Amino acid sequence: MTEQTTSGEGADDVVHAAEYVLHLLSPGDRQAAEDRLAIDGRFRALVARWSEEFARLAADIAPVDPPERLRRSVAEFADSEVGTTRSARRERGRAPRRGSILGRLFGGGIGALAGAAAVTVLLVVALPRVEPPYSGPFFSGELGGEASLLVSAFVDPRYHTLTLELVDGAAPEGRVLQAWVIAEGEETPVPLGLLDGPSTTIVVPDDLAPAVTGGTLAISEEPPGGSPTGLPTGQVLATGTVDEV
Amino acid sequence: MAITRDEIENMIGKVASRDRDAFLSLYDATSAKLFGVCLRVLSERAEAEDALQDVYVKVWRNAERYSANGLSPMTWLITIARNTAIDRLRARRSAADGGGDELDRVRDTAPGPEGHAMAASEAREIARCLGELEDDRAAAVRGAYLDGLSYKELADRFAVPLNTMRTWLRRSLIRLRECLGA
Repeated sequence: MTEQTTSGEGADDVVHAAEYVLHLLSPGDRQAAEDRLAIDGRFRALVARWSEEFARLAADIAPVDPPERLRRSVAEFADSEVGTTRSARRERGRAPRRGSILGRLFGGGIGALAGAAAVTVLLVVALPRVEPPYSGPFFSGELGGEASLLVSAFVDPRYHTLTLELVDGAAPEGRVLQAWVIAEGEETPVPLGLLDGPSTTIVVPDDLAPAVTGGTLAISEEPPGGSPTGLPTGQVLATGTVDEV
Repeated sequence: MAITRDEIENMIGKVASRDRDAFLSLYDATSAKLFGVCLRVLSERAEAEDALQDVYVKVWRNAERYSANGLSPMTWLITIARNTAIDRLRARRSAADGGGDELDRVRDTAPGPEGHAMAASEAREIARCLGELEDDRAAAVRGAYLDGLSYKELADRFAVPLNTMRTWLRRSLIRLRECLGA
């Protein structure tokens, strides 16, 4: 019995998902699989299933205590990340960014965008939702606000992630910045998450993804922990929408 | 280490909201396992230590994405650790232009005496299904997952042509899927 006759056309996807999980694909095929994961729920489910099953093989791997200095270095990393929330400025901090998905996707673009921005502007750049490999246009927009807060926003529709880069300005003392989305034609903001440092990546729930690329993004200042009501309670410091460039 | 799935999930949730103490609790609860995973793939201790730091940077940065990926918390963590280690391994090997002797690293595959009881019971099903494959086929699947071996390295290890290894492994994966339930 061969794979062609075992389970029909689904067998190829089953094997492909397993090869992805096992890291057996070539770099190009692996990237293509990741692009597909972003848009193909069935393939995502196959990968999740294999991931769970193979992860159980890790039961064979004995735990090994890492040296204590690694814990200190991880703690220092967390401290530097938490610390930048209070004093977020242009610098991205000294924390290591190796292997960051966002760094890979957006590595060169952030500085250029910041250079072109004026004060009190929320700049939104989104990739359109298309079948990868992506080759279509980019989207951007500029909007003004009342406060001197500058945030670049990036939407990756493949992963439903919204990355907010705090370019200039900060939350008022004792307050935090919270991101919201107002879907097109709606009036009620829906909370997306808190800005935790120079760069915050928020996973947008699937049902909100169209709102993020098609609606309005806003940032308000809120008490620590975010708005207790589910609606903005503080001042809205910046807003932005998306346009194609 | 009697840590439950819910506790780990809870810690990841707190890490997503930038809770430093929860992050360190998560480190304390999981770093030995993840270090074991990195060591298994990379063999070299210094490199595994670097990889482990990368793993927790990624955990910190991606904790918000955790709830969206549908994986159980340990699977998510192990996947991050394994992928981080394999990326390093592949980078090292491509730098060495295909490797050489170091590809023949021999590993002790015996589970540690203190292996997690919970994981061990969950592992039975996949272990049973691997047991239904021929020994070398099962060893190839384990080598791919646990050691991060590529098709080429698997072919070398089992002394078969590359295409034979591909065919072996793909058929094994289909049989595994059938055994585990479609």
